[in-house]
Amino acid sequence: MTRRFAARRSIGASKGPKAKVDWADLIGRVASHHDREAFKRLFEHFAPRIKGLMQKAGCSPDEAEEIAQNAMFAVWRKAGLFDPATAGAAAWIFTIARNLRIDSLRRRARTDRLEAVSELPDAPDPAEPADAAISRGQDAARIEAALKQLSAEQIMVVRLSFIEERAHPEIASLLGIPLGTVKSRIRLAMNRLRDILDEDT
Amino acid sequence: MTISHHPPEDLLADFAVGKLEEAHQLVVGVHVAGCPRCARFVRAIEQLAGAALEEVEPVATAPDAFDRVMSRIENSPADITTPPLASVTDHDDVPPALRKYRIGKRRRVAPGLSMRPIELSGSGKARAFLLRSAPGSRMLEHTHTGTELTLVLEGSFSHEGGRFGPGDFDYGDDEVDHRPIVGDEGPCLCLVAMTGDLRMNGLLGRLIGPFVRL
Repeated sequence: MTRRFAARRSIGASKGPKAKVDWADLIGRVASHHDREAFKRLFEHFAPRIKGLMQKAGCSPDEAEEIAQNAMFAVWRKAGLFDPATAGAAAWIFTIARNLRIDSLRRRARTDRLEAVSELPDAPDPAEPADAAISRGQDAARIEAALKQLSAEQIMVVRLSFIEERAHPEIASLLGIPLGTVKSRIRLAMNRLRDILDEDT
Repeated sequence: MTISHHPPEDLLADFAVGKLEEAHQLVVGVHVAGCPRCARFVRAIEQLAGAALEEVEPVATAPDAFDRVMSRIENSPADITTPPLASVTDHDDVPPALRKYRIGKRRRVAPGLSMRPIELSGSGKARAFLLRSAPGSRMLEHTHTGTELTLVLEGSFSHEGGRFGPGDFDYGDDEVDHRPIVGDEGPCLCLVAMTGDLRMNGLLGRLIGPFVRL
């Protein structure tokens, strides 16, 4: 357990040869040429990772499988909407999977209540821009730069707490630090990120 | 529009990863859509989530997963068609994110105070509604048994936490004693997500309390 976490502590560091693949370019090829070969590579890389992340976040294997397949279907369909200046390829795919997970939770709730399925809206896409005023390309660069200023320790607690959705006591025992430290570290990381992002506003 | 009250960072992070329950997701989402500062924060968390996705231990998908997705692709029309927005009659000036929802009829709650419930899927515990209060009205003194997220859409209100105008976000929990006063400039329209009940303090509150099942 400890070793696994030690290995994953090196976030932002070199990720090995796999990191060389330009996923954004592959998405672009799917958009412009309906390139099946490019899509296959995206699928083989991201589908198992979506499934892995969804299971970590509490989905059953079946739910995670469904979300992974639906997300990759959406990647094909929405490839033309991907804007590399706005977000990284992995972040964009994450938002697709996230929205599908939200939808599936709601659909299940609706079915449980035996209500007409088609009547209620899909989850609004939080990533969709109503904020047209923002210069998005500039924003992506600023966000990228801001994240680099967080320490590996800060990124780790944010990831464990928010993305892997682990409870604070669990994070404390995983990292071998007191519960109070977990809480304060998360708070500091959040405040720091906010401050850095605000700096040149 | 100058926004001076924002959601706390942990709420924004939960929003970014889709962890909030539906009513909260809705209220925070409408704030984020109109607040470049919070939108930037949310995108930063999404970026971190993307990095986590890259590094997570992969779990093999079903052997036929790729073929199934390809056959869906081949059997679906090429273009993404966005469904037309449902025509909304009788709407308050609701933000675009809300027009996707079915919004119930306006209900009078108290003098100068009316609400319209927003129909959710029922996956969460919190309710969402639009709350309209008359200009200059002093809302009933109340406390909460749960949490309350409020986003101002039009007009303003003030309480001990400051003045809240369009786009401002207010977070109340059971430790907060609210006595908001609505600004004189016009009616105040808010989008509210609430868990628990609203408890009216004072005699008037006790009298109308039974009707205030917001």
